[in-house]
Amino acid sequence: MSLWVDKYRPTSLGKLDYHKEQANQLKNMVQCGDFPHLLVYGPSGAGKKTRIMCLLRELYGAGVEKLRIEHQTITAPSKKKIEINTIASNYHLEVNPSDAGNSDRVIIQELIKTVAQSQQIQSSTQREFKVVLLTEVDRLTKDAQHALRRTMEKYMSTCRLILCCNSTSKVIGPIRSRCLAVRVPLPSSEEVCSVLSTVCRKEGLLLPAELAKRISEKSGRNLRKALLMCEACRVQQYPFSADQVIPETDWEVYLRETANAIVSQQSPQRLLEVRGRLYELLTHCIPPEVIMKGLVTELLGNCDGQLKAEVTHMAAHYEHRLQLGSKAIYHLEAFTARFMAMYKKFMEDGLDAMMF
Amino acid sequence: MDEYDEMFLTEDDYDQQFADELEVLAEMDFDPVAATKQSGFRKQKNTSFQGNNTAGDQHLRSQSQAAPAGSLGQTEGVSDMCDREDLEQLMANDPITPKAKRPRQDVAKKLFEVSQNDDITPPSSPEEFHPPPGTRPKLVPAVLDISGFEGILESPERVTTATQCHALKRPPPVGGYVSVTDHRGNRVYLRETDDLRGKAVDPSALRSSHDALGLLVVPIEVLREQVAERLHRQVVEESQRLTEQLNSLVDAEFGELEDGPGDEEEEGMSSRLWVDQFSPCQYTELLSDDFTNRCLLKWLKLWDQVVFGRERKPRPLSANRTQGNFNQANPKFKTKSQITEEILEADLDQYKRPKYKVALLSGPPGLGKTTLAHIIARHAGYNVVEINASDDRSAELFQKRIDTATQMKSVLGANEKPNCLIIDEIDGAPAAAINILLATLNRKDGQGVDSGADSGAEPLKKKKKKKESVLLRPIICICNDLYVPALRPLRQQAFLLNFPQTQPARLSQRLAEISRAQGMKVDTGTLMALCEKTDNDIRSCINTLQFLHSRGKRQLDILSEIFQLPRIKRKRVGEGLEEGLKEGGGAQRLQHILHLASSSGEYDKLTQGLYDNFLLMRVKDPSLGGVCDALDWLGFSDRLNQTMLQGQNFSLMRYMPFLPVAFHFLFAHMHVPRINYPSSQYEALTKTAASRNSLAAMLSDVPACIRTRISEISLSLDILSLLLDIICPKLRPVNPQLFSSREKQQLSDLIDTMISYNLSYRQDRTPEGQYVYVLEPRVEAVVCFPGLPPRRQLTYQAKQTISREMELERLRRAETLLLLRNPRRVHTHRHVLTSHDHHGLLYYTECPHYHFMNKIHVAAEVDFFGRVVIQRDVPSRYLLQVAMGTAVGNSEVWFRFNEGVSNAVRRNVYIRELL
Repeated sequence: MSLWVDKYRPTSLGKLDYHKEQANQLKNMVQCGDFPHLLVYGPSGAGKKTRIMCLLRELYGAGVEKLRIEHQTITAPSKKKIEINTIASNYHLEVNPSDAGNSDRVIIQELIKTVAQSQQIQSSTQREFKVVLLTEVDRLTKDAQHALRRTMEKYMSTCRLILCCNSTSKVIGPIRSRCLAVRVPLPSSEEVCSVLSTVCRKEGLLLPAELAKRISEKSGRNLRKALLMCEACRVQQYPFSADQVIPETDWEVYLRETANAIVSQQSPQRLLEVRGRLYELLTHCIPPEVIMKGLVTELLGNCDGQLKAEVTHMAAHYEHRLQLGSKAIYHLEAFTARFMAMYKKFMEDGLDAMMF
Repeated sequence: MDEYDEMFLTEDDYDQQFADELEVLAEMDFDPVAATKQSGFRKQKNTSFQGNNTAGDQHLRSQSQAAPAGSLGQTEGVSDMCDREDLEQLMANDPITPKAKRPRQDVAKKLFEVSQNDDITPPSSPEEFHPPPGTRPKLVPAVLDISGFEGILESPERVTTATQCHALKRPPPVGGYVSVTDHRGNRVYLRETDDLRGKAVDPSALRSSHDALGLLVVPIEVLREQVAERLHRQVVEESQRLTEQLNSLVDAEFGELEDGPGDEEEEGMSSRLWVDQFSPCQYTELLSDDFTNRCLLKWLKLWDQVVFGRERKPRPLSANRTQGNFNQANPKFKTKSQITEEILEADLDQYKRPKYKVALLSGPPGLGKTTLAHIIARHAGYNVVEINASDDRSAELFQKRIDTATQMKSVLGANEKPNCLIIDEIDGAPAAAINILLATLNRKDGQGVDSGADSGAEPLKKKKKKKESVLLRPIICICNDLYVPALRPLRQQAFLLNFPQTQPARLSQRLAEISRAQGMKVDTGTLMALCEKTDNDIRSCINTLQFLHSRGKRQLDILSEIFQLPRIKRKRVGEGLEEGLKEGGGAQRLQHILHLASSSGEYDKLTQGLYDNFLLMRVKDPSLGGVCDALDWLGFSDRLNQTMLQGQNFSLMRYMPFLPVAFHFLFAHMHVPRINYPSSQYEALTKTAASRNSLAAMLSDVPACIRTRISEISLSLDILSLLLDIICPKLRPVNPQLFSSREKQQLSDLIDTMISYNLSYRQDRTPEGQYVYVLEPRVEAVVCFPGLPPRRQLTYQAKQTISREMELERLRRAETLLLLRNPRRVHTHRHVLTSHDHHGLLYYTECPHYHFMNKIHVAAEVDFFGRVVIQRDVPSRYLLQVAMGTAVGNSEVWFRFNEGVSNAVRRNVYIRELL
């Protein structure tokens, strides 16, 4: 628990550093008693999980923080055994059903049903429902999501679901309509800076404001990343200086280099090199959507106004196909090739215009 | 300093380290089994030769003397039973054409006596009789001669000269006789004797007479012949077997010198894989790393005591002492080899088994793990029982097989060796099977011992005991990926041996030997390149060589030629173009390619091949339009595939073959394309699986409070890369004792972080023989990208310090956890101090381990050396103080550990000494 991220994580709704209004609303919701199913979504590093844990603490008290890891084995109707790890307290159960891959439907059906069917023993002192926390809901298969629909309604009396995901676009409509959607946006740059300086003060360190600013920019306002970066800075050099090098994640550097390679030359040989790099990124467990997004962001920096719109359009087109297909590399490479073609044409046109 | 010491030590301990190996080498020089076999064989040959001689002699003799009823069995019996010395004497004295009859007759008499004292029994074992085929025709008539009367008729004069025969042509001059007439009307006379010998012979004589009367359907001659025939066949077979065995032994010995298979074997050899043909059969031929080999061998030798009942050879004392000194002087830092060494030197447990009952070999495929296990097990004198992925590995069957292998023993075979179980490819086994293996390992004989103690007669319990016996045989497990989730529990209980890469020099040398033996001309550079390309995968190298050999390619001068695998379907695209051009029409080309693609059927493979190769083609368009189209086609086929598989909508299958057609029209070119085998997707898949496995390994042991905050994605995207930076702080290269408080805080934070994120340093040995600390689980590989500047690493010393401190911290935590779980100890301490006046009697009953007594109860106390300990009188104020709890340190309360064998343990310890 000695990483700053873990050490200074707020544990109750009152102690949250930003989006305080939302925190208040959540608090009110707990207090007025009729707690709905929740769909918490927002970008990574915005503090969804922190907020959910605070909410649970508000619901059940400190007992919810006594967590244990359970290894469960579930037998599918096809006699296939599926093993999954769950994190549970006495009051709630956290599952990541997409760990089970294609069998997530079975997890949803069996695990949640067994939890939901059992009543809380002392309903006088406790809430009369348990909470099941499902993470990475946007990675659930459609089958599993449909299995979830009925379960949500049927066991409403004994069980509430909190769904946690990055984007609601992959969650089917029926589920969205059954939940209260709570969006947790990224903290603003100032909020990140204030959190960083608070943490550094608690650590007894002095953080220059410029550095905090730079870190918050570099991290893309991802608070988790910002804190880790800050700590890595501390490890690298202390006392801080305003213009010190901020360590980055390797994959981002690699992706930037890839984008540069694409811009600098457009040929089949270069495409082949880029393919190798894309494979490399994929094998390092970087999700293809993230690669696509990062690539587009990097590439757009090198484009002119007219081209920007076209590139974004193409990116959206291929990202959609990426979601429909299963072999990410084809679609990533297709986007790269299309960009190369477009960029090359644009440059040649520009040259022609210059000539005449 | 450390390394120097270590090196020094290594040299010092050379004998000790290599003791086992030397032992094995010595054994190999004089392998008892082989030796006995050889000598046995030699002996046998001798005997059989002598037997032949004697048989020949016997034949002569029996003819000359007309020994009345010597069956073949008897002859053999004679040759079997007769005194070797006599025979030798006989042979020495007697040339084959005898001059002096006397001695031979004597010997014959002797022989006869011997044979008559014995029953007419077949030879004890067929091996003893060993006639070369040449002598065969001689023997059969002899048998006939002896048994029937024809022989006698044919050689009447010999019968007359006989002194001691029973069937006579003429009535004997003295004594009574019986006349017998055979079916041809020949009459012989049998002398009447009351001699025992005669009686012993009688039955056979009777039998022949019965036969003569035609009582048997098949005449006895024929029967005898059949028997003889069978015996002969057996003997021939046996001799063949022995010859083979001997040859194989000789081959094994001179395997290195062998000059390839002879021409007559060519046919048989061509069907064998070279991998099998040239697999090493001896310890010295192993290509794998010597250190690994030695470790495994040592581990296996640890079992000697329990399996063979041999005592371990005590190590030379001096070596032990130096080691001890070294350890004492420098107890904090242990190198990997020392740790391994210690594991191997560690005491055996109560059943005299080594501490780790399982060895787990891990490493990439094709390095010879299975071969190593087999060879070492064989050399250590075990009978190898292997279970691999080809066997059914369901839980019940697995249990059964383990039990059979570890608890039973073959009794039928001539060589009753104990079994050694080798479980190959264990990473593919289901978790249930591995749990069973673990249960087998941890099985305690507790119940059995108990039942034996209270009532051995109870049958039910006895049965249980039998079933639940402890594991007494070594088990070697082999896997490729050590971090498969199912193996996690096993990892902790196994003697882990990681297989390093084979050294390319050694491998290429072996490859050169093989190719020389097979008459291939290769140069070393090519072989080195081959080794490099295959990541030193021995199997793949040899297979490639064989493949090239069988293709008839004799020169391997260019590396690219080695790896130009047979062209896949893409080639057809090129051909299709040519044909199309000949035919001249686009429609025909389309039809042709469509036909080709749909007849091949493997669209997946085809698509991959196209994808991997299309960028290597000579693309016509400079604007990349064609490439974009091609990739759009690929994307389309991917979606098609996905829809097809998800919706089980296989009617869409008919659109699959259009992809190759599109590629054909986009990229086909006149010249012959060069095709690479499509492997990129598979490689990517395996790499992804490996990184996911290491992430999962890291996540699996992270405590719950942190586990809930991190997921695989956040780990790989945000956390891990920065975390690796964070755990590399700048530590001053001094002893941690000298750290400032701030630095100490930093170190403890670091250790805390590493423990809570389940990271640790493990010492590893590079192929060059250096020791490095690597992060475990191997998440560094997940984060680092090629081409980027390598991240800052801590120095070896810093890592060592961290690793040590971390172990200490782990121990501390485990202790506190134990105390929390079992608070009695702390509790008692506190209680005794506060309630001194209760004389501790209450606690005596509560916790038997601690014997609390007041000073009042103490008689004259004797310390370890037998001296009376002078007790100081406790002034009452002390008691008061203690009762008030103000001066705990001054109290006279002591406790005593009530278990243990010596007084050194059971002496009284004052509380103040503990505080």
